[in-house]
Amino acid sequence: MIRTLLQLLPADRRRLAAGHAALTVLGVALRAAGAVLLVPLVADLFGPDPGGAWPWLGALAAVTAAGWAVDTAAARIGFDLGFALLDNGQHSIADRLTRIRLTWFTAAHTATARQAVATTGPDLVGLVIYLVTPVAGAVLLPVAIGLALLPISVPLGLAALAGVPVLLVAFWTTRRIGRVADRTAEDANTALTERIVEFARTQPALRAARRAEPARGLVGAALAAQHGATVRLVLLQIPGQLLFGLASQAALVLLAGTTTALAVRGDLGVPEAIALLVVVARYLEAFAALGELTPGIETATTALRRIRAVRDAPTVSIGASARPGTATGAPRIRLERVAFRYADDGPQVLDGLDLTLEAGTTTAIVGPSGSGKSTLLALLAGLHQPTAGRVLVDGDDTAALAPDERRALVSVVFQQPYLFDGTIRDNVLAGDPGAGEDRLGHAVALARVDEVTARLPDGERTAVGEAGTALSGGERQRVSIARALLKPAPILLVDEATSALDTENEAAVVQALADRTTPRTRVVVAHRLGSIRHADRVVFLEDGRVVEDGTVEGLLAAGGRFADFWRRREAATGWRVVSAGGSDT
Amino acid sequence: MAKRGFSGVVIRSYGARDHEVTVVGKESLAPHFVRVRLTSATLFQDAVAVPTAWLRFWFPDPDGGESEHQRAYTISSADETTGEFTIDMVLHEPAGPASLWAKRVEPGWTIMATSLGSSKFDVPEEPPAGYLLIGDSASIPAVNSILAAVPVDVPVEVYLEQHDDADPLVPLTPHPRARIHWVPRQGPASLAAAIEARDWSDWYAWAGPESGSLKHLRTRLRDEFGFPKSELYAQAYWYYGRAFGKRRGTPEPEPAAAPEPAPAAAAPSGPAVRGAWRAQGAGRLLAPLKRTLILSGALQAVVTLVQLAPFVLLVELARRMLAGAAESTLWTLGGWALGLVGAGTLLGGALTLWLHAVDARFARDLRRRLLGKLARLPLGWFTARGSGHVKQVVRDDTLALHYLVTHAVPDAVAAVVAPVAVLAYLFAVDWRIALALFLPVLVYVMTMTVMVVQSGARTALALRWSERMNREAAGYLEGQPVIRVFGGAAGSTFRARLDEYIGFLDDWQRPFTGKKTLMDLATRPATFLLLIAFLGTWLVSSGAMDPVSLLPFLLLGTTFGARLLGIGYGLSGLRTGLLAARRIQTTLDESELQVRAGPAAAAAEAPGTVVFDRVDFGYRPGVPVIHGVSIVLRPGTLTALVGPSGSGKSTLAALLARFHDVDTGAVRVGGHDVRDLTADELYARVGFVFQQTQLVHGTVHDNIALALPDASRERVEAAARAAYLHERILRLPRGYDTVLGPDAALSGGERQRLTIARAILADPAVLVLDEATAFADPESEYAVQRALDRLTAGRTVLVIAHRLHTITGADQIVVLDGGRVAETGTHDELHAAGGRYRQLWDAGANRTTARAEATL
Repeated sequence: MIRTLLQLLPADRRRLAAGHAALTVLGVALRAAGAVLLVPLVADLFGPDPGGAWPWLGALAAVTAAGWAVDTAAARIGFDLGFALLDNGQHSIADRLTRIRLTWFTAAHTATARQAVATTGPDLVGLVIYLVTPVAGAVLLPVAIGLALLPISVPLGLAALAGVPVLLVAFWTTRRIGRVADRTAEDANTALTERIVEFARTQPALRAARRAEPARGLVGAALAAQHGATVRLVLLQIPGQLLFGLASQAALVLLAGTTTALAVRGDLGVPEAIALLVVVARYLEAFAALGELTPGIETATTALRRIRAVRDAPTVSIGASARPGTATGAPRIRLERVAFRYADDGPQVLDGLDLTLEAGTTTAIVGPSGSGKSTLLALLAGLHQPTAGRVLVDGDDTAALAPDERRALVSVVFQQPYLFDGTIRDNVLAGDPGAGEDRLGHAVALARVDEVTARLPDGERTAVGEAGTALSGGERQRVSIARALLKPAPILLVDEATSALDTENEAAVVQALADRTTPRTRVVVAHRLGSIRHADRVVFLEDGRVVEDGTVEGLLAAGGRFADFWRRREAATGWRVVSAGGSDT
Repeated sequence: MAKRGFSGVVIRSYGARDHEVTVVGKESLAPHFVRVRLTSATLFQDAVAVPTAWLRFWFPDPDGGESEHQRAYTISSADETTGEFTIDMVLHEPAGPASLWAKRVEPGWTIMATSLGSSKFDVPEEPPAGYLLIGDSASIPAVNSILAAVPVDVPVEVYLEQHDDADPLVPLTPHPRARIHWVPRQGPASLAAAIEARDWSDWYAWAGPESGSLKHLRTRLRDEFGFPKSELYAQAYWYYGRAFGKRRGTPEPEPAAAPEPAPAAAAPSGPAVRGAWRAQGAGRLLAPLKRTLILSGALQAVVTLVQLAPFVLLVELARRMLAGAAESTLWTLGGWALGLVGAGTLLGGALTLWLHAVDARFARDLRRRLLGKLARLPLGWFTARGSGHVKQVVRDDTLALHYLVTHAVPDAVAAVVAPVAVLAYLFAVDWRIALALFLPVLVYVMTMTVMVVQSGARTALALRWSERMNREAAGYLEGQPVIRVFGGAAGSTFRARLDEYIGFLDDWQRPFTGKKTLMDLATRPATFLLLIAFLGTWLVSSGAMDPVSLLPFLLLGTTFGARLLGIGYGLSGLRTGLLAARRIQTTLDESELQVRAGPAAAAAEAPGTVVFDRVDFGYRPGVPVIHGVSIVLRPGTLTALVGPSGSGKSTLAALLARFHDVDTGAVRVGGHDVRDLTADELYARVGFVFQQTQLVHGTVHDNIALALPDASRERVEAAARAAYLHERILRLPRGYDTVLGPDAALSGGERQRLTIARAILADPAVLVLDEATAFADPESEYAVQRALDRLTAGRTVLVIAHRLHTITGADQIVVLDGGRVAETGTHDELHAAGGRYRQLWDAGANRTTARAEATL
């Protein structure tokens, strides 16, 4: 935790952190001194001459005031560190996110990353001042009081010092058991409710199948069976949670008992003994404060854990070489024994794929779902890196290219067209911020964005809203096509949407592929005949392997898997709902 | 700032920021009602323009004096980015400072404004049954902003007190379901008396009248109608008969001695009915636990006291030691202390165990009730809410209840009892020092108040920011592939937003660091210790106090501040739990599908005949979606429902599958009203295939044979073959015995075909079909379509059509528009008729041809 914290601090604040630590220790020492000053003060009050307490009170006031001053200074630094953590921490996470391997972003990791960048801010600000300082104080204060007691009474001082580790372990254990208990209760609840949620989710199917009542009986029985076991599990956790309370109460009785015993034996005067009882109470106060910090500790630990998860996520390997300056025009792309899997223990999506895409050609990748089409496209785009084999562009290994060089190679039309919050024009220009009006106009017209902007009062200056939500799915798609066309990259990759496209969008995809203003090597993952028809070559993929490869006409004539696919697509387009034996099968 | 009087000083001490506002223009909305257009470059750094939000303005003295007068006005419209906004003002005769200013104001004038305080109005996710809005011309801007925020299908009753003949001329925001009542003022009770005496169950009331009327309104709404506190917002917008409203509102100068007419004779309507509110559901859900929770609270109080006892024993120990008591008495005390510690721990443990046992039983019963409820709710309830809501209620809310029952009550009791007990004890010992302990607490509370006030709108803004950052971060992560390919600009908006957010947090929190440190220093034990030691030394050395009396303070007084301030935290756990309880009770209160026990109508019609007989239906009372629809579906024919989106075609189809019950009229299948059939009887006759598929946990075989669990493998395979799924199933790891799950997942089209196979096996005479199913997944469009062909063959089919060319072969096409049948006929008839259908067809035609071109 401390390591993550220090990593998040900008380098120039590390010394400030050391200063803060020193001030914190000094503040604790002053507080301990104040506690121990009570001994002569209270002893005098209980003694024959209460007036003798005034000088001690003066000392106490001085020490307390010094403590305020030191702690105010520490707090100022603490807040400063907090704001530095906020600024540096948030930015370093945002930077980091752009270098993490895309395969890392599972649903759970994505949620963690989102929370790390969006919700940990306020926690980071208060981290030092509300957490590090108080926790350090709560742990150090009893030690300091124990040490200060040694000159007054060695046995009591030793007992107090011995109590510190015992109470800390009791505190830690209780916290741990409490956390386990919470998790057990939560897991038990999830286990018990999961089946109810499932029951609710499948209601239409269950009712249509007249199975709602039997299923309800089954779920009910399962719940009843599970119930007893989980309750026992939760109950077992309870005694452990009382440990810390018991330990601190016992410590109070034991330390007070020791003091009393010392007084009875005559080692201590009665006024001193009474004063020491007060010091004992102060000693235990620190542990109670620790208990009150528990919720804060949980929140901060969660925040830091999320941040650490992002910082520890695997990043993409980065090359440094540049493409030779002579490389112009459409490149030849070659995949050499490329293998890929999403997780180390996951199935091979591609296994030893060899494929050469000639310069300036348009290739359609076709195949059933799960055949590896989109994975292949992501490898070409450089979004994933092959687990084995190489992707070569004009003979250069893309893995060795510097990030900017690699990025400059490809332009992509994505299935889920993400737009950023800005105008339509800004989003198209993201493809090439320096593009002139003529090139912009050309891309906008080809992608039929002009039809969209013509309908909007603000035209191409219309804001697309957060993540483009002010536009319809089809309109977003067209803006993303224009963006991809504008980017002057020699490789254009198109992942055609699987969801139903309207016809204008289909035409926009076809036009984008047919555009010849920039010499490009094109690859399209295609579902529709319109986009396949314009390809020079069709590669039919199945289970990560190329099963058919040729021109559209050639493959249609061969009558294989592709011809079958083609026929079915054509039939699907003209389908009509029929009844009363009108079926054509 | 003396010219602003006392309220100015108070506001200043809160650190409210003044913003210069410039007048841009003025327009008259009614003879005595003007709209002033204003702009400010800085105002919206502090202010948030939400419904009912208001600003305080400093108006110049009408007599030309030095003093300024503060009045508050609702923001009637605003553009936060440009800083332009408007306020609406009532002009009074004789005019006060604000009226006078409004009368004379011209573009270019400036005035100071601050956003200190303000209010806001939110429509919750599940809106109340209706909104009861009460006010007068002064609160019309606020009422207008609420009317604009309330969804169009929620009814609104607006009661406005009329003070001036011109009042009804003030424009109100139109709302389709709002009813406006102007009530001439006869006295402070007349407005309250005018509110209709009816059942206001589950309504929300917002009242912003003048102060005198408000008093009577509160009584009427709360005591007579039963509005719970959480469902009633009431604030006086001005004071009748007082020239200068201190807090807010437009002044209405009127002679204070004006004779008030006698209160209106009698309420215009019958006796009031006390309603029942969902907001009170938590109480009902927890009613069986009430005694348990009270008892646990009492026990926890005892435990808390026992835990404090050792400190009292320490005082006694000191007293005995000073008195030179025998050693044995001291050891007796020690024994007592040990005994109490043991007893406290045991009792605390027993309490927790007991509560867990109680909770376990309660949770089990609750889950059983929820399960039963879910089995009887109309299917439309599930489609309207989605799985997120069900999860919230069933999983998260039951967990929150677990904490409420097992922890929240004891925690709250302990948080309250400990400081109260300590305080009582300390006051009993010495009231002077006890009183002094409040000094640091006072410092804390005052600093806190100043901070809360200074934060003002930023507290709400922070919430907005955090929601916004969550959304933006989600977008940033989702957009990673795009950002990595296009770089630079694509990712820069998120960076900019992140900088803005950090800047916001910095601007907001950094000025508070000093105050926060002060709060910490004031309430830390060392400060209390010094305070106690000082007073103690003074009192003891002057002989005004027995030194032993000082001990309780030194032992318990130092943590008094922390304990007292912990009360709020201890109580917060209760709130979450009660909200969860309320949601669960709301779900348990949902109305269930009823099977009418009426006489089974003689089945005069063939089994496959479906009749919609003058059907009316609406999702909310008073908002019909289907009006008087009558259709007959003959056995074995195909009927297509056609119409623009929102025309009611999906709703009408859902009524046949009894996702909802009709309001009037009837849906009959084979001569039986669907409401006379049990769910099993109904779904033996009617099947449905919609876009969402539901697979149950189990094998492929179980899933296909859901309706016929005893079906042989041959019949299941035959159904799978008919649904074009057999080959795919054979390729699964264990064929028909494969358990579907993450390891053996089916694609969207495959799941679709599995549900079709299920319907083929179930073999209902009537089928409801969403045509979009056929195009849901281009990867297996073809197979799904063939499967549908097999399913529809020979049945009475009702299809919701989105693409007209797919239903040209239908036996009957029903064109819906606005929930009514516009036309009925075959494709050829309707095409030739040139009506609504022809319009729809022509609108879709260019699309179809374009599609054909793209294909060729």
